[in-house]
This record gives sequence, C-alpha cells and structure tokens, in this order.
Amino acid sequence: MVASQREKVPVVEMRGVTKVYRSGSSTRTVEVRALSGVDLTIYPGEYVALMGPSGSGKSTLMHIIGLLDTPTEGEYRLGGEPVRGLSEAQLARIRNQRVGFVFQAFFLLPRLTALHNVALPLVYRGLPLAERLKRARAALEAVGLGDRLDHLPSELSGGQKQRVAIARALVQEPDLLLADEPTGNLDSRSSDEILGLFDALHRQGKTIVMVTHEPDVGARAQRIVRLRDGRVAEGGVA
Amino acid sequence: MNPARPTPAAPAGPMGMNPLENFRMAFESLWGNKLRSFLALLGIVIGVFAVTAMISLGQMATAGITQDLEAIAGRSIFVQPNFNEGQDFSTAPIRQEDILALQTLPAAVIPQLFTSAQYEVRPGTRRSIQLQGTPGDLPRLDPTNKLAKGRYFSEAEARGGLAVAVLSDRAARDLFPGREAVGQVARLYYPNGARLELTVVGVLQPPGGLFGGLGAAATVYVPNELIWNTSPTARKGQYDFVVLSLKKGADARQVTRQVQRIFEGRYGKGKYQIASTESFQDTLRSITLILQALLGAIAGLSLLVGGIGIMNIMLVSVTERTREIGLRKALGATSSQIRQQFLIEAVVLTLVGGLLGVVLAAGLLLVITATVPFFKVFILNPATVLLALAVSALVGLFFGVWPAARAAALDPIEALRYE
Repeated sequence: MVASQREKVPVVEMRGVTKVYRSGSSTRTVEVRALSGVDLTIYPGEYVALMGPSGSGKSTLMHIIGLLDTPTEGEYRLGGEPVRGLSEAQLARIRNQRVGFVFQAFFLLPRLTALHNVALPLVYRGLPLAERLKRARAALEAVGLGDRLDHLPSELSGGQKQRVAIARALVQEPDLLLADEPTGNLDSRSSDEILGLFDALHRQGKTIVMVTHEPDVGARAQRIVRLRDGRVAEGGVA
Repeated sequence: MNPARPTPAAPAGPMGMNPLENFRMAFESLWGNKLRSFLALLGIVIGVFAVTAMISLGQMATAGITQDLEAIAGRSIFVQPNFNEGQDFSTAPIRQEDILALQTLPAAVIPQLFTSAQYEVRPGTRRSIQLQGTPGDLPRLDPTNKLAKGRYFSEAEARGGLAVAVLSDRAARDLFPGREAVGQVARLYYPNGARLELTVVGVLQPPGGLFGGLGAAATVYVPNELIWNTSPTARKGQYDFVVLSLKKGADARQVTRQVQRIFEGRYGKGKYQIASTESFQDTLRSITLILQALLGAIAGLSLLVGGIGIMNIMLVSVTERTREIGLRKALGATSSQIRQQFLIEAVVLTLVGGLLGVVLAAGLLLVITATVPFFKVFILNPATVLLALAVSALVGLFFGVWPAARAAALDPIEALRYE
C-alpha cells in the first residue's frame, strides 16, 4: 500500500539521540539525562504509540520529534532532512509545514471561533485570509465539525474541542501528526470518538505518533514504542 | 491510496506572514479585552490630549495676540528718543527736516508731542492728565484711532493751533463724569500754572482686545501747534516722537531699516529708538513659544507615565498569554513574529489612545473658540496632529519593546506547560 520509494525515506529517523539537561551553578551542576542513545525510525503511514512511565523521557522525545527541542547528541532526520544546526526560525518554519501538534489540553484560543482557531497555523505561511478560511473549513468538515465553524471553544464539548485541535493540525497538511495524550482530558465516550478519528486518519495514510500512558489507547496503534529510563526498550525500529 | 502530501515540499516562498496580519490580531486581542485596553490607553489619551491642546492653544494665543496688537497699533513704526541710552525729549528731539525725510517712505507720518497737564477734580484738588499733540485728522492717518463721538480736529484747525481737543474714552470719563463731553470746555493747567481752555470736539473709542487695559490712558489730544504756543517746555518745530503708520503692502522690516538709516545718518547710532509693532509681535511670539515649550514638556511627562502604564499592561498580557505564545510557537511562529505581534499590539494600543487624545483636544479647542472671546480662531495644525500620533506610536514602540522581547524569548515547551 505504501510506495516502496517512500518506504526508503522515513518520516522520523533517529540515531543515538541523547538529551542532557544541565542546571545549577557553575560549582555544582546537576545533569539530568532525559534520553540516552535513542534509535527510532517511523515510516510514512505508520501509527505509532509512544509509551512509558512518567520520567521515562517520552515527553522529551516527543518535543525533539516535534522540533520544539533539539538533541544534545545524535542524529535526527525529519522527512529525510537533518535538523542539526538549524536556526530557531528554520525550526519554526519546519514545525509549521511538517508537524501537526495535538495537545492533551487542546490549547484553543478562547476568543477565536473554531474556524479561526483552525486557520491559525496558516497565518504563519503568509496565506491570504480567504484561502486560510477555505482550508480551515475543509479541515473542520473532515473531522465532522462542518456545523460548528462559528462556535467559540467555550461552546463546544471536550470531544469537539479536541476535534477542532485535530483539524488545526490537519490544516497544516503535515508529514506527521504528533498527539500528546490526546484523550487525557476526555471522558470515555469522547475518548472513543477521538481514537476513532485517529483510526480513520491512519486509514487515510496519515503518519501518527501518539504519546500515551494508557495501554488500551496504545493498543489502537500499529506499533508501540516503549521507553524506559531514557532508552527505547521495545519497538524502536519497525 | 497515496499518502503523499498534496502540497509540494515546503513552499520556498518568503517566510513570513503578511504584516497586516499582526494589526488584525492586535485589534482582535485588544477588542477581546475592551475594558482593560481602554484603561491601559487612558494615560496615553490624557498625555496626547494635553500635548495637542497645549500646542494648539499656544498657536491660538499667538494668533489672538497678533490680531489684538494690529487692532490697537496697526502696522506701525515708532521713533522716539532712546531712553535706554540716557536720551530724552530735549536731547533727542525730532526736527521738521526729519519729518520731511520720513515723508518719502510708504507710510503716513504722524509727528507728535507728549507732555502732561493737570485738571481740577474739585476746587483745590488737581490731578495729572496726559496731553498729546498730533496733526489734524488723526483717524485718517492712523486707522487704529476710531472716533466714538464728535469729530477729530481738522488739518486747518491743527495748523492754526486752535484750542480744540479730542479726548480718549478714559479722559472723557475723568474730566466729565456722567456728562456728555463733546461741546464742553476742558480746563487744563500746565505745571507753571498757565491755563488752557479747550473746546472738546470729539471722543475716541476705547481700544479693544487683550491690550485694551494697556491703552486705556486718560489722554487729551490737541494740535501740535497749540502745545508749541502754550507749553513752557515745548520748542517750536521739534517733536517728541513720530509714529509711521505703514501703508498697505509696505514691508515693515524694510521701512524700519530705512528709518534707522535716516536717523543714524543724521545723528549717529543709539540716539533714537526705532521699533515696529512687528518686533513687539516677535517678542510676544517668542514668549508664547517658551510658554508652549514649557507646558508641552509638562504634558509630555504625562505621556511618559502613560507609556509606563502601557508597558505594565503589556507585561501582564504576556504573562497571561504564555500558553498562547507557546501554542503559536508550536504551530510555527518564529520568535521574531511573536515579538512583532506584541510590539504591534502595544503600538496599536498607543495609537488608538493618541487618536482619542487628538479628538478630545479638538473638542476642547472648539469649545474654547466658541466661548472665550480672546481665542477667535480655531487652530489645529495637521502637523500637530501628525506629531501627536507619531509620538504616541513611538511611545508604544519604546515601551512595547521589553514586553515583546519577553514574549519572544519564552521557551515553547515551558510556555505550553504553564498553568
């Protein structure tokens, strides 16, 4: 189903990625090794769950995958392109074009309607307003919220809010959907609804990385990558 | 199914959003917080209002002073002994030949004498009054002298030295309180006791405007010839001072220089003082300018205070919107785009404040023009408005820099975790 030529260019390719946080004074530095030597490959169209107990480094790994953070050591290629040495502005631009974030707490701007919230990432592409709204409308329709365009976040249920957030990620047409505990703030019915949506997106060929600590959520994914103490314990390479 | 991105790899166009986007966002965000935005820009409103009103009131005052001065003195040049250099009427008299020389200039030449006399308020009580010699038909020579009643003595009466008089409004009230002055006989006494009996033929209008009080001296106008004939101190053919009332279109500065040349050529520098209403106006203008600058500086202080208010509210706003900033960064905003967003928000805030301030100032100026007689003309220079708006934008820029830099420097991971 996936073209063999695309098969050769992983969306995420990590070799020996290590992240060390240093804090404290010059006399007494405290080093925290959040990740050490992570190898991870994710191919286009894959649906991967990133699991592990808290403190295992899965948040750090997600931030590095999403270019919100950079590795201390090791090589990371996103869509085949190395990210080492890129400037803050270059990283921002790649985030804008290749990574779609979905957060546990939705992070919708409370004063913007669903439509304008979804259109927000396109502001940073310099698209004219009409084009942004057109694409945002299509994205909202794709998540089944075509009838909630002009609602404010406060007028939406939790599940609907998360669907708006997913539409906001989809509107970017990213290489990678990066979801951080997307059902963590939802009741079980809404959770099912959202997980069903991710299943559907996976069937459409979207690449999804989902951070979760819930086994039944992780079970929906095609592959589970388990982290323990900053290392990949299982599933790093397909 | 082909999952390939429908858009060709990262469009390589110029990074960037339309700068107008930031203005749209700024308005959205300020509108979302109407009450707070309004309170935040109140300081700027007051500052711009004060500066604009001060500058314009200064300009209106200057215009008013100029008009008043022209109404009482016209465009004139005065020649008199240079009292500052120790000269007086007897050491630096103005002679008939000087008058003849002045008559070649584009001005009506009005040679005059200046002395004082006394009148009897009650039998035994005498009071001083100003006695001024003029040529006949003064209102024609100098249109700032306007008759209220009667007539001015004629050229012929003046030449003949007849005992006729025209009174200033104040003199008429002093000499003939509660009575009609025209037709009466005024009795005046020189310091040596010599008596003058003058038939009053006319009364002048009081001078108007701001300087009305200054010009309201009690003065009795009589023919120069009469003073020569009767005063113990006056010497025939010599005048005390000359007023040159400029004809239409005459250049005050140029004529002043010509007058100077005539007197300096004949008597040397420093003996006579030559001044024009224009130079009085210059002096007054520079005084109002200094006042304006002083008041403007004080008003400017309120702008500073307003700017600090803006900085405060922007810092609060950055803290409050930490998660928004984190989100925008995660969605692809660069630090410089975040900085721009907050900077423009501050500038929009102060610019709106500036506009409100200018509108308020214009309102105040309109009310003042309509109610205060001294301010006759409404002046609000486009330059003043532009300056006010430019200053308010600069205040926003200056006081927005720090909050915007703080917003731009936020780490997106920390910002998204912020509760």
